[in-house]
Amino acid sequence: MSGRDESEHPVLLALEHIGKTYPGVVALDDVSVDFRRGEVHALLGENGAGKSTLIKTISGAIRPDGGRILIDGRSLDHLTPPAARRLGIEVIYQEFNLVPTLTVAENVCLGEYDGWRADFAAYRRKCAALMADLEVDIAPDTLVRDLPSAGQQLVEIAKALAKSPRLLIMDEPTAPLSLSEVETLFRIVRKIRDQGTSVVYISHRLDEIFDLSDRVTVLRDGRYIATRRTADTDRDELIALMVGRTLLETYPPKAHAPGEVALELKALAGNGNEAMSFALRQGEIVGVAGLIGAGRTELAKLIVGAASRDGGVMELHGRPVRFHSPRDAIAAGVGLIPENRKEEGCFLGQSIRWNVSIAALRRVLGRFGIRSNIEVDLAERYFRMLRIKAPGIETAVVTLSGGNQQKVVIAKTLASEARVLIFDEPTRGIDVGARGEIYKLMVDLAAQGIAILMITSDMEELLGMSDRILVLHEGRMTGLLPRADCSQEKIMALASGLTGN
Amino acid sequence: MSHAVETATPGPDWTGLAKRAAILLVLLALIALFSGLSPFFFTVQNLTNVFVQNSYVIIAAVGLSFVMIAGGMDLSIGYQMSVVGVVTAVCMMWLGLPVPVSLVAGVLTGVGMGLINGLASITLRVHTLIITLGTMTVFQGASYIISRQSAILNLPLSFKFIGQGYILGGIPVSVVLMVISVAVASYILNVTAVGRMIYAIGGNEEAAYLSGIPVTRVKVLVYGLCGFFVSIAAIVLFARSGSAASSTGPGTEFTAMTAAVLGGISFKGGEGKMWGLVTGVLILGVLGNGMQLVGLNTYAQYIVKGLVLLAAVGFDTYQKSSRGRGR
Repeated sequence: MSGRDESEHPVLLALEHIGKTYPGVVALDDVSVDFRRGEVHALLGENGAGKSTLIKTISGAIRPDGGRILIDGRSLDHLTPPAARRLGIEVIYQEFNLVPTLTVAENVCLGEYDGWRADFAAYRRKCAALMADLEVDIAPDTLVRDLPSAGQQLVEIAKALAKSPRLLIMDEPTAPLSLSEVETLFRIVRKIRDQGTSVVYISHRLDEIFDLSDRVTVLRDGRYIATRRTADTDRDELIALMVGRTLLETYPPKAHAPGEVALELKALAGNGNEAMSFALRQGEIVGVAGLIGAGRTELAKLIVGAASRDGGVMELHGRPVRFHSPRDAIAAGVGLIPENRKEEGCFLGQSIRWNVSIAALRRVLGRFGIRSNIEVDLAERYFRMLRIKAPGIETAVVTLSGGNQQKVVIAKTLASEARVLIFDEPTRGIDVGARGEIYKLMVDLAAQGIAILMITSDMEELLGMSDRILVLHEGRMTGLLPRADCSQEKIMALASGLTGN
Repeated sequence: MSHAVETATPGPDWTGLAKRAAILLVLLALIALFSGLSPFFFTVQNLTNVFVQNSYVIIAAVGLSFVMIAGGMDLSIGYQMSVVGVVTAVCMMWLGLPVPVSLVAGVLTGVGMGLINGLASITLRVHTLIITLGTMTVFQGASYIISRQSAILNLPLSFKFIGQGYILGGIPVSVVLMVISVAVASYILNVTAVGRMIYAIGGNEEAAYLSGIPVTRVKVLVYGLCGFFVSIAAIVLFARSGSAASSTGPGTEFTAMTAAVLGGISFKGGEGKMWGLVTGVLILGVLGNGMQLVGLNTYAQYIVKGLVLLAAVGFDTYQKSSRGRGR
């Protein structure tokens, strides 16, 4: 896309000196950006950089404290979501906003009521035409709940396009898509761009940004950092702009050699994955790479016994083990720090103390039940060790930041005396500063001889933290490489199933 | 080490305390109100009555609260009580078994029905509201078959003592049983590992499973405990009435549910304390008793009780959402 010159295109929407402050947080600080007709404009930034706040400002969901929003050069005050809609601004949010029990056609035409009667035939015609236009094969009468998540994403897009938007905002649209589906999406985006629609594209995946966008704007800590023509920049520059420092500083150095084999998989299969064999050593961090649907989380759940195995053997410290549930795994010293912290990791309504001890109740039990002094000691120990930032161990976990909640989950797992830890997306949704602390913690744990399997979609994190990298593709192992042999391109090729091993 | 904790924790959480005590303040306000409206309300005789009349409700609500804290629901406790009552009566009166044996049979029947609910909930994997709606209907049929649709009158004196007698110089036996039930339940919920697991499952079942908690076993146990306490409640209720009919018991589930929600036991599970539950039952009890003394009829009482529940739930939701917005 580097050949396009969009500088001639007129500006559709401009933000001037936008500011937004929440109690205790500056979400946006004097941000000015313009979006032109017929361009794909990527927004880039770490979590908490202010991208979501910016989108919500454009869609009228929040009112900025200061600054101006101009459409076609006219200033708008009091932008509300319906007003934004009337102006042709559509947003495709990360979470699906579809009604699963209605058909595709009904979802696509949701909110378009002309008179009191719902004209289902018209909905169906319109939807079919739209799908044909997108060159997507989804029947209008399918129920949305019967579609895979990739199909649902396409319905979301069709729903937005049905309103013929002038500005389309897409927040991480490729997250639920596989590689070929991403191609379909890109084709659609390019098509509507060429028809003159302005597209604001948010993604963490740099390769997508280079593939698709015409310009890219970087935000950091709520501030505007820079806008570049995609053709004039490169990956290193964008990362430097985004992180605000060079990459190497983020990852702590490792100064120890891996020890004995801790966990060994011998043709272990199940939970949708084919047989996999590899060994994880004490003090080693093995990164697990793969695209969505590669079976990484499935592998983690299979190892801890949250899914039943179809075949193969697993050995822990040289002895065969069989976990029927995570309870067995924890008893044997294998702990999972799950991907969805809030849904699977911690108990939000309870205190830090309560969360730390819940997987380690046997350590705090006396003859007449839980000994509160032992429990407090245990919680205090991990509270200090992980440097959890909170007033004290009685603080409710719901009030903590994402990074500190993650530390609580890690504390919970460590308290259960795990010697093999599986981190599933350890830094998802965690800001840069806290990330550094989590990384340091993981390296410290490895130095104490704990074996770590780290699933991550973050390429920098993968390359920065892993001793070896395991690559999965659609439930198969496509590679296991020492870090020295790894390049981003090689991992991507293996993860896409382009080369065998 | 407790010293270290005190320094780490900032001063007492007054707003949290006020919120938690709100329900207690409501109870005290009601007592003050009715004391002013009726000279008969604030007497030892009347207040003892309130406790005696509600002791079986509290015991049944204790059973229900285990299920609710674990994130489930039990609509069947009313008919469980009906079955336990008629089984106990049939053992005593028709089979001629001694009273203690009959009591054990009744309690075992109750625990058995609880276990049926528990096993059904883990095998069928639909919401426990639906499961217990089904088992409720089953227990209803069973109860009327066992009692042959008749009222069993003139239950033995030693049985009626549980509901009507006094020990230790004037303390009603039913109140003693109620206090013991609440104490045992508090101990299980607050001090034992199982108690922690019950809160964990109700708070976040997936996280509980991944944290190594035996979710299915605890769920079955929870329904077993519910059945146990519900059978104690049934025995107190039937002993107080002195006769046994299948129509005795049903309805308790809604009173218990109302009291639990009033007392801060969330429908979503994972939270709730015994003192809140007891306060919730007493609010309903005081309302009923006070309005009776003031001269309002039963139907007016229903309206007031319903409105109190809605107000309490509304207050709770308002508190939570305003806290969420503040952040």
